Amino acid sequence: MRFRSLATLALLCLLVSVLLTPACTTQSRERDDKSKLHVGIVFDIGGKDDRSFNAAAWQGVKRAEKDFPIVLRDVEPGNPTSIEPAMRAFAERGYNLVIGVGFAQSPIMERVAKDYPNVNFAIIDGVIDLPNVASLVFMEHQGSYLVGMIAARTSKTGVLGFIGGMDIPLIHRFAVGYTEGAKAVNPNIQVIQNYVGVTDAAWNNPGKGKELALAQISKGADIIFTAAGNSGLGAFDAVEQYGKQNGRAQRFVIGVDSNQNGVKPGFVLTSMVKRVDNVVYQLVQELVAGRFTGGFHVYGLKEDGVGYAMDQFNQELISPDTLKQVEEAKQKIINGEIQVTDAMKK
Amino acid sequence: MKHLSELLFPLIAVIAAFIVGGIFVLIIGDDPILTYQLLIGSALSWPDGIGYTLFYATPLIFTGLAVAVAFRCGLLNIGTEGQLYVAAFAAAWISIKLGGTVVGGVNYSWASLPALALVPIACLVAILMGAFWAAIPGYLKARFGSHEVINTIMMNFIGIALVSYFTQYYYKTPGDPIMETAEIGVAAHIPRLGSFIPGIPTRLPLNVAFLLAILACVLVYIFLWKTKWGYEIRATGANPSAAEYGGIAVRKQIVLAMAVSGGLAGMVGINEVLGYRYRYYEGFSASYGFTGIAVALLGRNHPVGVFLAALLFGMLNRGGIFVDAFTDHVSKDLVEVLQAVVILFVACEAFFRGSFNRFSLLRRSKV
Repeated sequence: MRFRSLATLALLCLLVSVLLTPACTTQSRERDDKSKLHVGIVFDIGGKDDRSFNAAAWQGVKRAEKDFPIVLRDVEPGNPTSIEPAMRAFAERGYNLVIGVGFAQSPIMERVAKDYPNVNFAIIDGVIDLPNVASLVFMEHQGSYLVGMIAARTSKTGVLGFIGGMDIPLIHRFAVGYTEGAKAVNPNIQVIQNYVGVTDAAWNNPGKGKELALAQISKGADIIFTAAGNSGLGAFDAVEQYGKQNGRAQRFVIGVDSNQNGVKPGFVLTSMVKRVDNVVYQLVQELVAGRFTGGFHVYGLKEDGVGYAMDQFNQELISPDTLKQVEEAKQKIINGEIQVTDAMKK
Repeated sequence: MKHLSELLFPLIAVIAAFIVGGIFVLIIGDDPILTYQLLIGSALSWPDGIGYTLFYATPLIFTGLAVAVAFRCGLLNIGTEGQLYVAAFAAAWISIKLGGTVVGGVNYSWASLPALALVPIACLVAILMGAFWAAIPGYLKARFGSHEVINTIMMNFIGIALVSYFTQYYYKTPGDPIMETAEIGVAAHIPRLGSFIPGIPTRLPLNVAFLLAILACVLVYIFLWKTKWGYEIRATGANPSAAEYGGIAVRKQIVLAMAVSGGLAGMVGINEVLGYRYRYYEGFSASYGFTGIAVALLGRNHPVGVFLAALLFGMLNRGGIFVDAFTDHVSKDLVEVLQAVVILFVACEAFFRGSFNRFSLLRRSKV
């Protein structure tokens, strides 16, 4: 009998506590300063420490948090069903800006943004046609054009390699820009193109990346541009295998997205950088200044959204003459004198 | 009294897990009370919290029931993950083929059926595909005695890789960077609860599949405890030799139990494909199949228990997002810690039960 009453009591206690808790949650959030602007960021499945795309976005918002009076919150969804409620969680609480990282989030953000017309949204690498969404798109073909020029001027064999990750239009954009840049320097240059695969796994297969790089080298390629995420690191291993002669590497690789010059010092000719961090920072800056606008935001050479990386690791690899030419071409692209083909425009 | 104590021990496990989790939160450097208020408050707020909690619970009810049915027959079905993947793909496939899907001028479909015919067909295909995928290891167990744990795990790999192959090479719309099939026909969409129950916003993805999940709980109860087949399955699970001696075809029961289990797992596809995404999406399952094992364990392999346990796990899923977003240090992993500790405590239940009995015995002897 005593046992039964004890059990009932325990049950009742739990019931009461569960019923009471929602009532007091509203107060617990008040420590968030209401006078500040609120920014929420939803990462891709990779999470914020992927050393590449998500990490760059994270750096950008962290820097903005230091410089501006904002409240920053982030979610790493971990699985695809959590992305939508994470975005809604920020929107429900009246966040001023919700940032989605990666094209895979665009269909979800489109749904959510329609329900919250008063909340600003931003999607990186995706395109959503809504007035309250800023679509942040990079002109990868412009940056690729410049590294293509550097590669063509540095190549001794007249054969270049390109390794893409997943065979999708976004990556074709890198390939086309790279080829055009190379041909602008040397119309007879040959560019061998290969893709790691056609599924998401293509971003994370360094073994296949190395195989492709070795195959391209055996066909005479001496500079290989990778746009393949983690798979690209396989190409780094491949060029290292050919070693250095008189202190200069025999084969080079060109990095992508973030500055990868220091990954294998001496073997990385340059990196085609995509300044996701700058762009995210600028976005928050615009929000704070009250200048946030939806629609297309295109970041090319002019906006410093893409570019090539120069630092202590590669300054001796590229001749000053080449740099001068590349800088001239950069100015011409910015002026519109050189039009680089965008593979994503049909 | 019997039912109450059945409820009590899982409850103690849950409370104990929350206390242990609270200690973790304290060590990480946040306030455990505030964190739990955030966790539970965001999961039970009306309407979004409750809506999402039920939405997350739906697939777990199906997989929990699936594991429970197999367990009642003495089988451990670890293959619910693979079963729900092939079923979800099959549901998407039939809804594309018979739903009149046309993308970019390419016609993917054979016919364009009305909703009244297409929805039941798609549901049935999902259930049958899941049942078929689970019946294979069931048959192997019955015919050759090969262990169902190994075989169901292996079938997971085969199933998930196969549907991924079909999605990539045959049913993805050209140029789509996301691994997903073309959209299914509009006629195959099942309505969200918000579209016909006033008071629920239509933005919530909670759909008719949740009602199907409740129905499945009732049907599984009737099947296991009120029918001859259920009796035979339970008898086989309790003691195969005795069951065989009693005239039950044990091998047939093994295949039947696995098929029913797989069919239930396959119903996850109805929720995901017909009710939420309207397409098959690679990697859609947040390991529902494996969480289903925990749900069945916590729910003591009973439909009512499974339902309650799935609600708890749904709450944790929902609240976990808020804990991740709105606390300073605690990340979503806290939810996984909580789930793991709950399971650990449920597994140690005998210990609790023993000490509890001793405790009440002591009290009684004093009186």
